[in-house]
Amino acid sequence: MPTSATKRPGIGGRTLGLIISTTLLFAVLSLLSQSFLSSYTMFVISRQMAFYVLIALSQAFCLVVGQMSLAVGAIGSLTTIVLGLGLETWNLPAGAAVVLALGVGVLAGLLNGLLITRLKIDSFIVTLSMMFIYMGLRSGISGGSPYKVPESFRAVGQGSLLGIPYVFLLVAVLLGLVGFMFRSTVFGRRLLATGGNAAAARLSGIETGRMVVWAHVLSGAFAALAAVLWASKLGSAAPETGDDWLIVSFAVAIIGGTGLNGGIISGLGIFMGSAIFMLIKHGLVEVKANPYYANSFLGLLILLAIVIDRVRQIYSDKQKGT
Amino acid sequence: MLELKGVSKRFPGVQALDGVSLMFAPGEIHALVGENGAGKSTLIKIITGLLQPDRGEVHRDGRRLRFRSYRDSLAEGIDIVSQEIEVIPESTIAENIMLDKLITRGKTGIIDWPAVHRAARACLERVGLPLPTGTVIKRLSAAHKQLVQVAKALAADARVLLLDEPTSSLTEHEVATLFGILRDLRDKGVTIIFVSHKFEEVFALCDKVSVLRDGRLVGTKSLQDLTRKELVRMMIGRDIDRAHLGRLDAERGREMLRAERLVRKGKVENASFAVRAGEILGFYGLVGAGRTELARVLIGEDRLDAGTIYVRGEKARIRSVADSLERYGIGYVSENRKEEGLLLQSPVRTNITIAVWPRIAGRIVRAVSRTKETAIAYRMIDGLDIRTRGPEQKTEDLSGGNQQKVCLSKWLAADCDILIIDEPTVGVDVGAKDQIHRLIWDLAKTRGKAIILISSDMPEIVRIANRILVFRDRRIVGEIQGVDDPAKSYAELSAAIGMHLH
Repeated sequence: MPTSATKRPGIGGRTLGLIISTTLLFAVLSLLSQSFLSSYTMFVISRQMAFYVLIALSQAFCLVVGQMSLAVGAIGSLTTIVLGLGLETWNLPAGAAVVLALGVGVLAGLLNGLLITRLKIDSFIVTLSMMFIYMGLRSGISGGSPYKVPESFRAVGQGSLLGIPYVFLLVAVLLGLVGFMFRSTVFGRRLLATGGNAAAARLSGIETGRMVVWAHVLSGAFAALAAVLWASKLGSAAPETGDDWLIVSFAVAIIGGTGLNGGIISGLGIFMGSAIFMLIKHGLVEVKANPYYANSFLGLLILLAIVIDRVRQIYSDKQKGT
Repeated sequence: MLELKGVSKRFPGVQALDGVSLMFAPGEIHALVGENGAGKSTLIKIITGLLQPDRGEVHRDGRRLRFRSYRDSLAEGIDIVSQEIEVIPESTIAENIMLDKLITRGKTGIIDWPAVHRAARACLERVGLPLPTGTVIKRLSAAHKQLVQVAKALAADARVLLLDEPTSSLTEHEVATLFGILRDLRDKGVTIIFVSHKFEEVFALCDKVSVLRDGRLVGTKSLQDLTRKELVRMMIGRDIDRAHLGRLDAERGREMLRAERLVRKGKVENASFAVRAGEILGFYGLVGAGRTELARVLIGEDRLDAGTIYVRGEKARIRSVADSLERYGIGYVSENRKEEGLLLQSPVRTNITIAVWPRIAGRIVRAVSRTKETAIAYRMIDGLDIRTRGPEQKTEDLSGGNQQKVCLSKWLAADCDILIIDEPTVGVDVGAKDQIHRLIWDLAKTRGKAIILISSDMPEIVRIANRILVFRDRRIVGEIQGVDDPAKSYAELSAAIGMHLH
């Protein structure tokens, strides 16, 4: 259900379309491969999906207020390095290293938000520059080699409850909270209003600049969380973490129905979006598609999602008549 | 001969033009007048191809014209000078004037810049603008930009020339030059359509006048046998006799807002006034006279450079809209309903309750109570008679008048005692207009709101305000007390902004 200020409650046409596509993909994949329905595959897929959801949320917070962040992956990358430094180089306790890493993500987001609102620079330019700055820092500091993490640190990323990955459970809860936030809380509503019409929101007493900063802070926090969990899952803090997040973040958020012009987001949509994205990726492996072309498929997928949305919009405008 | 035959155009919620038939002859300067929202700009946009009519036809010398874009009308020799259709700010005067007819060296496609500048200079000289043709447009004053547009139309050898409020930023001397050029063009057989608020100019320059009101043509008259009074009557129509809604005894009301010598550099100079509970104070003047600019300072959207604001007798420091709303109970209904007033994609409920979310949210989680929200929405929908399928209807689907009521209800829901209402009936149907007038008046009368009504619609402001401040050139230049005799008020207001009736 898209929670914007916009849509009525209930499952909208778009979300229904997502559910149908997911089901179809799921059915096709179960027929294509015997191993697809195995508990191992389900475990891997659901855990990967959870990461996609986090990465997409990181982008969606920015999209919701009418902005974007190209630095999503770079913040994840930087966070990973800080985590690695904390755990391996400085020998911090796992908890302290995680807090430090998340803190860096939050700060990076805050910096983006402040640059955008205080200096009134476009979010594209700010996050583009920041992306390169963080990427450079990550390579410079790490020299490209991964950091070791202690055994105990892997528990969350690799463990499961009743066969369901911890990461998936955690993300499901977070996604529910985010959905609730946008649907019901003053804060979430104000984020949506800021993206829906910034001028109107400001003239209604909403401090839209502050909302934009918050959106970037949340974006940074979620990117950092994804990075920390990823290191836990991987069993090491790998510098290349985040390299493919840019396309993932846009693809999943957009397929999940997040409005590109702000003001529209759907928790369920993003969940389904991550499922579709995961299943298609998995499907490409199943049909033995040449992995060198993988990015082309993903780009095509984003374009397709936008085209479908656009066609739907034009159609509904026509129906209303002029 | 340019001829409109039964042209109609409807926008969501308002009939902008309704069966307008008009003829513009070559060799005449034809004035087009009417109140704001009368349909002038829609008509201009149809003639210049920026809009297509729903019904009706545009003919030129017996041929039907079907414009799909502004370009099509240019090709037909129709050109426009207006502040809305911008010149290209980053390029030079010469490039702007010669844009679609850059002279090339033979067939090489290489532009012959000296020739372009020579041609541009010739046009500039005709409009009396002694500037180097290499000057970048964005460095010019508004007045000079407008003269460049006239020069451009001259270069295009336009056969039909529309001028939309062309003198609003010109000096007296520049106006005189412009009028000279226009008379000259008229004598050469050009059809000139002149849109203006200023009666002085209409009478001084034009041969004929057509009056639009509420999207309909009231009539076309020769200016020789028309008095100014008659023209005002045509513009304002039945409204001139429509009584003021009644007396508001504001004298007993508490002083809610007082402004002393407010300054916003370049926008507002030395504005002082006070408004009481139960009073409607009108801000009358033309667009850009400083009314909206003053309002934006009062609500903390723009910074105050000097002066003091008192709310309920106490000195106020209003730093943001949030401040004006939460601490001082001031609400502002924007003149741009769609751009600044509403989340069009959101349900009516959201727009009604947006300013009260914090007040109806739980203490710890800050979740907005949906029950209270819906209750407030229903209370406003019923109380203001908002025509909607329900609180969940998308706001975009409502008519202009009902959208305006939603804008108003936002501040009523927030319990604002001081309301600043900016051009509330622009783009609103006649019937809804009356309803909104009564609604605003009633808010002052029975609910004791202190209301500032910003309007450039004379009948509107005379009808519901009990005191009117007149704005001109960023200043308050006059005050009209106790509005009892509409005809007298019209005369006073017209005189105050410089369109003399007598």
